[in-house]
Amino acid sequence: MSFSQQKEDKEIEEALVRDLQAGNLEAYDKIAELYQKKIYGLSFNLVRNQMDAQDVTQEVLLTLFRKINTFQGKSAFSSWVYRITLNASYMKLRSKKKEPNISIDELLPSFNGAGFQQEKIQDWSGNTESLLFTNETREVIKKAVDLLPEKEKVVFLLRDVEGLSTEKVSEVLELTVPAVKSRLHRARLFLRKKLSGYFEEYNSRKGEA
Amino acid sequence: MICCKECIDLLYDYIEGALDQNTTKSLEEHFQDCPPCIAFLNTYKSTTTLCRETLNQIEIPDEVRRTLQNFLKEHKTQQEKL
Ligand SMILES: [Zn+2]
Repeated sequence: MSFSQQKEDKEIEEALVRDLQAGNLEAYDKIAELYQKKIYGLSFNLVRNQMDAQDVTQEVLLTLFRKINTFQGKSAFSSWVYRITLNASYMKLRSKKKEPNISIDELLPSFNGAGFQQEKIQDWSGNTESLLFTNETREVIKKAVDLLPEKEKVVFLLRDVEGLSTEKVSEVLELTVPAVKSRLHRARLFLRKKLSGYFEEYNSRKGEA
Repeated sequence: MICCKECIDLLYDYIEGALDQNTTKSLEEHFQDCPPCIAFLNTYKSTTTLCRETLNQIEIPDEVRRTLQNFLKEHKTQQEKL
């Protein structure tokens, strides 16, 4: 995103906050227009269910309207929106039974005593194009992300999926930048391993056919 | 020469272009001698792309959009009455 674009976004946000705080009802529609897709998308990636994501989105919108006077502008408005969305999604998830997460360490790369790669690494990056839009691949990707432990998942969703900057993610989650980086790196390693299993198997299936 | 483990630890900053010149140089020297790490780098990058392209395409279904619109309208009417 260019600097002028960022500046423009910031101005739009600030005007919107002023309108909301002044009780201007038109600002409600603008909020919905600007943020509901982001709110729904992020919450859907966490709760994985249309009804629940809809509930969360409604709740977040309502919280934005009701709590706007507690917003002090210490962080960006959008960071506040993301934080409320995460809280509402976690509340939703807490009310459901959850499958236990697997340990991320089991899926991190392994090295021999001298620090060299132990497993065979296949390069499947060249043939993902044709696979990308199959339903099977999409399901595999969703499942892999669902398996991420919560701490790593949220960083991955905000940074790599929503495309926020590392600094912005650290603001939303109130984490240090190095902590964001290390969680993101672990998330990517975990997902790479999961996807490798799938693509390698797919390639060998194709080889046999 | 750096080992594979160090190489993988540096991937994140390498992709961000956040490594100093010397470290970048030793990393790229490692890549020249180590096809597995090149494969790792490529698939590490692809992982992010694939996940992003799959997960950020989530659109609000029409019925949800309608529900949200009604919800908003109702809320505004309530506020107007206050
Ligand atoms: Zn290596």
